[in-house]
Amino acid sequence: MKALCSWIESRTGLCGWLAACGAARVPGRVCLCRSLPFVLGFAFVFQAITGIFLLMRYCPSAASAWESVYWLQYEVQGGWLLRAVHHYCGQAVLVLVGVQFVVMILRGAYRAPREFVFWCVLLLGIVTLGLLLTGDLLAWDENSRSATLTRVNFLQSLPEVGGALFKLAAAGPEFGSLTLSQFTTLHALLLPAAFLVLLVLRWWFARRATTVEAAEAPAGSPYWPRQVAANLVGCLVFLTVVFALALAHGTTGDGRGVALGSPANPAEFYEAARPEWAFMGLYGMSEFKVFGGGGTVVHIFIAPSIMLCLFLLMPFTGRFKIGHVLNIVLVVVLLVGDVYLSYKIYARDDSDPLHQAAIRQSQLAAARIPVLIRHHGGIPPEGPLALLRNDPKTQGPALFKRHCATCHDWVGGAADDIKAEESSAPNLFAFGSREKIAGLLDPKQIAGDEYFGNTAFKRGKMVDFVREMFSDMEPEDLEDRNLLVMALSAEAKLPAQKVIDQKDAEQIAEGRELIVDYCTDCHQFGKSGRLGTAPELTGYASREWTVGIIANPADPRFYGKNNDRMQAYAESDDETKNLMTNREIEVLTDWLRGDWYEPEGSGQ
Amino acid sequence: MENVSSSGKNKPSCACGCAATPANEPRRGFLAKATTLVLGGAALGTPLIVGLISFLNPLRQKTQAGRFYRVATLEALPDDDTPLKFPIIADRKDAWTLHKNVPIGSVFLRRVGPKQIKALSVICPHAGCFIGYDAAAGGFLCPCHTAHFDLDGRREDPEDSPSPRDMDTLDGVEIRGDEIWVKYEQFQMGIAKKVVKR
Ligand code: FES
Repeated sequence: MKALCSWIESRTGLCGWLAACGAARVPGRVCLCRSLPFVLGFAFVFQAITGIFLLMRYCPSAASAWESVYWLQYEVQGGWLLRAVHHYCGQAVLVLVGVQFVVMILRGAYRAPREFVFWCVLLLGIVTLGLLLTGDLLAWDENSRSATLTRVNFLQSLPEVGGALFKLAAAGPEFGSLTLSQFTTLHALLLPAAFLVLLVLRWWFARRATTVEAAEAPAGSPYWPRQVAANLVGCLVFLTVVFALALAHGTTGDGRGVALGSPANPAEFYEAARPEWAFMGLYGMSEFKVFGGGGTVVHIFIAPSIMLCLFLLMPFTGRFKIGHVLNIVLVVVLLVGDVYLSYKIYARDDSDPLHQAAIRQSQLAAARIPVLIRHHGGIPPEGPLALLRNDPKTQGPALFKRHCATCHDWVGGAADDIKAEESSAPNLFAFGSREKIAGLLDPKQIAGDEYFGNTAFKRGKMVDFVREMFSDMEPEDLEDRNLLVMALSAEAKLPAQKVIDQKDAEQIAEGRELIVDYCTDCHQFGKSGRLGTAPELTGYASREWTVGIIANPADPRFYGKNNDRMQAYAESDDETKNLMTNREIEVLTDWLRGDWYEPEGSGQ
Repeated sequence: MENVSSSGKNKPSCACGCAATPANEPRRGFLAKATTLVLGGAALGTPLIVGLISFLNPLRQKTQAGRFYRVATLEALPDDDTPLKFPIIADRKDAWTLHKNVPIGSVFLRRVGPKQIKALSVICPHAGCFIGYDAAAGGFLCPCHTAHFDLDGRREDPEDSPSPRDMDTLDGVEIRGDEIWVKYEQFQMGIAKKVVKR
């Protein structure tokens, strides 16, 4: 045994090194607070291990980055946990480095002989910020793409070299696949390598400094085993925090771990794009123009560079008493300023309805996409956005706002109501439903704002007819009207009314005969009546009917010559000439009719 | 084993047997040091340069813009001066992938006369977010750092605005029949001068 030991020692020097380590002493008493550097090293190992496993499942390209993260988050067992702990550990590393940095300054431990230790910690902080910034992009969801694009765009504001720098940073003239692969290389290879080198250097310099200090003030306590134990306790505390954060959103459901936003759309810009918390202070600084009208260059480039220089010079300025005090003041002011500016931004965004609306919309899409992917059985090669584009539930409101909400309301008393810019046409909420049609046949309502109140039909034949027929009704007339409503609404074949339509089949059959009696003087219904005077009632509010009226309301089948202001959205056979594509009209129609896929048991 | 340790003790020797002897001491002058540095630099630099050449390739690539695209029909624009946002549909190339007929950007179109159209780029000159039309304020608003612009795209508060210049107008607008064609261009962000991005 001894022989073996001495053989190893003679070849490697390991035993002596271990013995030296064991004999190492900490200045002063063993303390949990001394475990910070050790915990940082541990955090690096933790990130390296989880990062390698993430990288095994990640595909950095515009066509597959989000998809592979989706796969991790929703399909791979434990994938969401892997993402979450890697994410939160990254944030925690920044906090660790920050705490070390501030503590060094407060304690005056950045001065001789620890200058190099201090610089290493400072650089570690910068590399960590770089890791956060590059890591953020990789998910390639709406916010990560837009927020990162904005920040990289800032490079363009640098005179002369800006355009070239942007291209180099983005690895091309636009953000795309190569940007992702470049950021992945930075995030998973170059920056971690720099981090590791700095960690080792830091450790090396700290050891030298300790030796120098120990020569002046000997004694202290042995490193092994009590300080090592303290270090490990520090690691455990760190792990607990990281896992607590990762598990904060539960262990089941789509929102567990770190939520994945909806996929980046290169043709759009996410309106609520914001940097991560670590950059919020900087964002706030340029947002509130702390340095006056200097513009982007001053706030984003010059001011931070000056701060960095001040930090780098601290070991020298700190040699003087007054310099040390100023350094402490600087750090405290910056910290307080950072917290204050970040808070101001969060407070402003919280009370900004536009910002909140953009977030809500994006969350709806993000929650919807996994449902659509599962329904489809996977992600089509055209990407997840193709699924979203054809989804009435999320696209309907957008199409309605763009094309219909100039005149029509869609208001049913819920949070997602859409108010017309200038309400001048019927409210289309609950289109085709029994309640809606009952109101249409109600003399008190038909000429009101909800129906024809703001249109040319206010003084039309239909209003006269309803007033004449249903104003002072006998009980059996009431019953007739009820049947009419049921029958007409059944023409729509609304998914939401499927059950009651089936249940009321008899009344509906009666109602259909009443439609022939009451309505076919003007409307066509089945074989009775004729077209040209008023909209056809066969298949009223059905999918095919609704698509038709949106495409061309002035068609003889609908309002014909009596059409009041409504535009034809797809009059021509050549789709490029139309206001909406056929597909868009179908999506809008399905949304109006509440006709979209919902997974079973979702309460819809 | 003994062999190695004994030879290692006094004479430093090289694996190739070129016996670097201390007798050569005086010659280890400036020339030797310089040569060593140059050789080392060359050895390290070669892979670096080979890599850098391809790393700098993005500098040769140009943004895809500067052509006329059919954006909308005259009919699609309202008669009042409300601006509407229209996508530019074209082929988009992302590195090696060619996407056929996809939106590559958007423009605001606004009618200023019966057959006169003004076009504004939606891209904010500050940092490239997409500017939105703010109907309530009757102007434009950028959601990222809240730059306000009026209907003509002028900054509401030139002194205080995060944007270094007014919204970028797209000056190539042509009416062909009843179709509106726009020359789509992008501009360098963050600077006061409007320079076409290449
Ligand atoms: S990007 Fe528009 S204000 Fe900053």
